[in-house]
Amino acid sequence: MSDLRPRPRAFRLDDARIALDGAPARAAAAVVIQSQDAEIAERPGVAALDEGEQAIEAAQRRGLLARWRPKLGGLVWSGLGGLASLAFGLWVTQLIEGLFARAPALGWIGVALGATTLLALLALLAREIAAIARQSRIARLHIDLAQARAADDRDAARAGVARLVALYERRPQSARGRTETLDAMRAIIDGRDLVDIAERALLKPLDALAQAEIAAAAKRVSLVTAISPRAILDVIFVVAQIIRLVRRIAEIYGGRPGLLGFVKLARSIGAHIAITGGMAVGDSLLQQLVGHGIASRISARMGEGVLNGLLTARVGLSALSVCRPAPFNVQKAPGVADVAPFLFGGGER
Amino acid sequence: MLEAGVVARSLGDYFSGGALRLGVTGLSRAGKTVFITALVNNLLNGARLPVLGASAEGRVKRARLEPQPDDAVPRFAYEEHLAALSGEDRRWPRSTRRISQLRLTIEFERAQGWLDRSAQLTLDIVDYPGEWLLDLPLLAKSYAQWSRETLAQSESPGRAPLAAPWRAYLATLDPGAGAQEDAARRCAELFTAYLRKAREDVYALSTLPPGRFLMPGDMEGSPALTFAPVPVAEGAPPAGSLAAMMERRYEAYKTHVVRPFFRDHFSRLDRQVVLVDALGALNSGPAALRDLEAAMAEILLAFRSGRSSTLATIFRPRVDRILFAATKADHLHQTSHDRLDAILRVLTSRAIARAQGVGAAIDVIALASVRATREARIRQGGEALDAIVGTPEAGESLGGQIFDGKGEAAVFPGELPLDPASALDGEALALPEGDNDWRFVKFRPPIFALGASPPQIRLDRALQFLIGDKLA
Repeated sequence: MSDLRPRPRAFRLDDARIALDGAPARAAAAVVIQSQDAEIAERPGVAALDEGEQAIEAAQRRGLLARWRPKLGGLVWSGLGGLASLAFGLWVTQLIEGLFARAPALGWIGVALGATTLLALLALLAREIAAIARQSRIARLHIDLAQARAADDRDAARAGVARLVALYERRPQSARGRTETLDAMRAIIDGRDLVDIAERALLKPLDALAQAEIAAAAKRVSLVTAISPRAILDVIFVVAQIIRLVRRIAEIYGGRPGLLGFVKLARSIGAHIAITGGMAVGDSLLQQLVGHGIASRISARMGEGVLNGLLTARVGLSALSVCRPAPFNVQKAPGVADVAPFLFGGGER
Repeated sequence: MLEAGVVARSLGDYFSGGALRLGVTGLSRAGKTVFITALVNNLLNGARLPVLGASAEGRVKRARLEPQPDDAVPRFAYEEHLAALSGEDRRWPRSTRRISQLRLTIEFERAQGWLDRSAQLTLDIVDYPGEWLLDLPLLAKSYAQWSRETLAQSESPGRAPLAAPWRAYLATLDPGAGAQEDAARRCAELFTAYLRKAREDVYALSTLPPGRFLMPGDMEGSPALTFAPVPVAEGAPPAGSLAAMMERRYEAYKTHVVRPFFRDHFSRLDRQVVLVDALGALNSGPAALRDLEAAMAEILLAFRSGRSSTLATIFRPRVDRILFAATKADHLHQTSHDRLDAILRVLTSRAIARAQGVGAAIDVIALASVRATREARIRQGGEALDAIVGTPEAGESLGGQIFDGKGEAAVFPGELPLDPASALDGEALALPEGDNDWRFVKFRPPIFALGASPPQIRLDRALQFLIGDKLA
């Protein structure tokens, strides 16, 4: 067995029978030596994350996973907000006191209404906190799965995939995918393969749903922009559609953004668009924009419609990337052309 | 008593705004001296260390050497060692024979902060032979127990031939007879000779306490170092006998040598790097590797001891990061580094499992403090081999070639096994070259530009792990 392995050996560089770095040997060359100057890899054995994945993680860290840090502006606003809520509290107390002065019954009604409001507010707050926690849990799961896959770490992958299965436990449609994944988890399997199986079984159907949402939204936006009579109307429509789309995508992947959660999500999406902007220009967007100079020649409104549709699709895709609880490995990350081919005049393709 | 001393020192350290104490250890020839010299040189020169966060972000202003803080501890002779490395005849510095220390101050700017961001980190680098750590288990052993174990160990098939002269002399002695200084000295000499022989390159064994016998430092020849195991029964030997004298000296060794080291130096460390020369053991054979593995586990035991008492956990500054580094990674092509990493992981896995209770972060990497080779690809016949090019040391040989220490050579050291555990399989020791699947020759230090730092492999990663958080 050891005979198959190459034996250790050494060659002196001043030996006549050696051809070093392309220089001819003085005698008949028996051995050729070529210098290498590759950098010594930092961590051999661990595959690096690809560029797209790094962009997604950076974006998630900037929004979904961002910790709140005191900033000067933030301090001003929280100070002002605190004062305003104090004033509001004062006003409520005065109001209830006034009501009691008028008639005790009215006062009690006021107290009851105030208590209801407070309770509802607390419930809203609790839901908001839960929603944010859920969102950041999904984002962390994404990062963990990406790392487990890159390091081919079986235990980490197993733990991550178990969390992924738990995330979709309440969804009857995912029953088959969950069963497949759990079966794979019981088998002897490498971390990388397990993450791939989970992605295929659990996330592929969701990807299709999300892409369909993006396509529908882009179609609606471009159509409405093209026929709307006033510019302000279509701005409102586009914004409303984008907000609706982002919420819908988050829901598809298991998040339920409330108000604050949506702000965080929007930050991540903004960061993702900013980071990947350069890449997107590199693929097809630029050509398409130039191409639709023609559309805008024919009709200014039609050109705008196409542009708004592209914008919507772009935002939707970024939302898809940052909301997805696992990185794209088996599935290729979709591009604008995948979700909105009709914008490029190739709908029949 | 030991505890009280430790507590007093750590309180003293605490109030004097203590420096970060970085312990550098490893069995002899692991490359401790070169590691420290290269580390200090890279910091002093402001060399580019991309993985060390503070350096990559350009936040390190400068580093400078400080006067030696501890009056009782010798200074690490940095200048001398650097001169050896970069001098005309380029040789590796002389090895660590005793404890030494060097204080370095790093001025840097914090990444975050409200007011003043400039800060400085005082780093005390403490260099001591790893053999000394193997003495710790002796504290819990009686002379009779230690003798029994050492004698049993010397009968193992790998060691028996090495121990033969000493065992032959021992057979002529009667431990119950009257004590004679002459016999004791002769016995200790032969015992030490056996330990030294086992440590030699061809055998490369590791677990050989008592450590001071190999690294006597300034204690050489003193009675505390003039003893050897003799076969005695449990219980007090007859007064005035050879065995009684040996036992008294063994206890003296524990009191005057082992305890002070742990009290004054070891227990004050904050960070620790354990350098491992896995290549030497690989050259020798599986038995040497297994022995190295046992030594690693024992070394880690030292980091755990004394953690149970509440007082100690409150006052003792504890080692919170331990790095195991396989040195001389430049002796293989980088495509083999992950296999070396894997072997080191197997070597230290028992140690790491034991460290669960230590509460320290542990990392394992393959590094080269000074990179003595460059990489090349050899094509011979139909074979393509990933090789390294450097100047082998005079007297090294491979495949029938004996090197003169002047000419450069391209060396293919062989392939490490894919399954790291298979390298530890077998009883062989001191394998001849033809029977081993690999042979690592030693290289001379590289030529590097005057004033520049020598090239390195992953020294920056080691630094990031050891002190990166303090430079945040």
